[in-house]
Amino acid sequence: MNPEPQDAQPPLIYLNNAATTWPKPTEVLREVANCLRQPLYEPGRTTGNGSVDYPSAAREALAAFFHAGPFEHFIFTQNATDSLNLLIHGFAKKNGMPFHAITTELEHNSVLRPLTTLEQDGAIRLSIVPFTDTSVNLAALKMVICEDTRLVIMTHGSNVLGAVQDIRPIAEYLHANDIFFIVDGAQTAGHIPIDLLDIPVGAFVFTGHKALFGIPGIGGFFITEPDAIAITRQGGTGTDSQTLTHPFEMPMRFEAGTHNYPGIASLYAGIRFITSTGQDTIEKKNTDLTRSFIRELKDIQGITIYNENPDLPVVSFDITGIDNHEAGFILARAYNVITRTGLHCAPLVHERIDGGKGCIRASFSYFNTRDECRAAAEAIREVAESADKEISSD
Amino acid sequence: MKEYVLDEPLTIGFLKFLELFGTVRFLEQLRKPYFSFEKELFISIKGFVGDCNVEVRYKKEFQDLMADYFHLLLYYYDQGERGVSTLKEYEDSIREKMKIRLDPLPGNGT
Repeated sequence: MNPEPQDAQPPLIYLNNAATTWPKPTEVLREVANCLRQPLYEPGRTTGNGSVDYPSAAREALAAFFHAGPFEHFIFTQNATDSLNLLIHGFAKKNGMPFHAITTELEHNSVLRPLTTLEQDGAIRLSIVPFTDTSVNLAALKMVICEDTRLVIMTHGSNVLGAVQDIRPIAEYLHANDIFFIVDGAQTAGHIPIDLLDIPVGAFVFTGHKALFGIPGIGGFFITEPDAIAITRQGGTGTDSQTLTHPFEMPMRFEAGTHNYPGIASLYAGIRFITSTGQDTIEKKNTDLTRSFIRELKDIQGITIYNENPDLPVVSFDITGIDNHEAGFILARAYNVITRTGLHCAPLVHERIDGGKGCIRASFSYFNTRDECRAAAEAIREVAESADKEISSD
Repeated sequence: MKEYVLDEPLTIGFLKFLELFGTVRFLEQLRKPYFSFEKELFISIKGFVGDCNVEVRYKKEFQDLMADYFHLLLYYYDQGERGVSTLKEYEDSIREKMKIRLDPLPGNGT
């Protein structure tokens, strides 16, 4: 074989921030290193002096960031999927009898799969509310609420369409009607200001590794009514060790075993980074990047953008004449532009927007630049134009 | 899905060889010339001319039958004309095994 010389690899342009933000702020990496440099401070367990109580510090930071309390009602988990599983299965177990649950077409599989599992087990009847344009509204939700509706789970922001949902009127209605409301904030936490004092949710789920700039493996939820959720995990808490039943005190009630200390430290530092940089500043930059990228894409023939006015820095699109996996592969390997292709774990959204074939998603973070947007759009232009002139042996 | 690193970079000559066995798609105007090879039920390959890395996918249900197919493509490419006919014969025997697996009726060799 006679290879042609390969060009040097272009600089990496990372546009998969809706999955995991990268890079992380220096402050976050430093805090993780600090956390691991000393013995862990584990309240209730034998511990040394001079270490930081990261779980308590992070809970307080979360409470201030989301305007919610008491801070002991912030529970740490591995990620949003873990939180949702704990809440959904815990709610069903607590309820005992079969009941009616509602979710939406906008959801991620982290919601759809636990609910489908419960439905198949006969524990719930499930209604899935369709979205109109890019959102689900209270009127659509009301249409499926029935006498035994006990639970509604809904995303705060679509990971495909980048549309933030107006959850306040929904939360108020559900609260007034004694229906437990779980909000999946995986895509919104960190991106937009969230005031949980103002929105009466049953539980609000977040993950650390996306817009909160933490490392993978840390997430959590805030819960207003812990008694609505059965304890499904038991183990060591460093408290009441003489009893063989799991303690009811918060936050131990939902946390068993050794915490992910480096993850919690990263979350703590991520929130401090957002606060010190200014959430408005971050949001404005993300909006500018997203708008400029969309403008660039709109100039390219053969591109379909699924939401031209996203609220979040998420742009989902399709290139005519080329499979989205192929396009993603080319962008990654030939141009060093990292996107995410396929169904984005949200099969029902894709069923509606592209017949279930999936698309390409570019998602931005504070650390992206306008130059990167331009270079990525240029790469997409080359792929689109090339797809138009393909040579096939068929 | 498997990613292979080849001893030598892929060439246009290899794509022409692949065309004898399935559908080759070639996008040559990209920063790196991209190709994909698709042989229904058998295998799909994608990569770039001039690169040593290729991504190979096969159907889960025929994974055992296909495990060697990619290596055979590389091996018989080096054999020239003779390699083409030998590989086609090999493909026929794979197809027979697939047929039996897809339709395991009594008397159909199972």
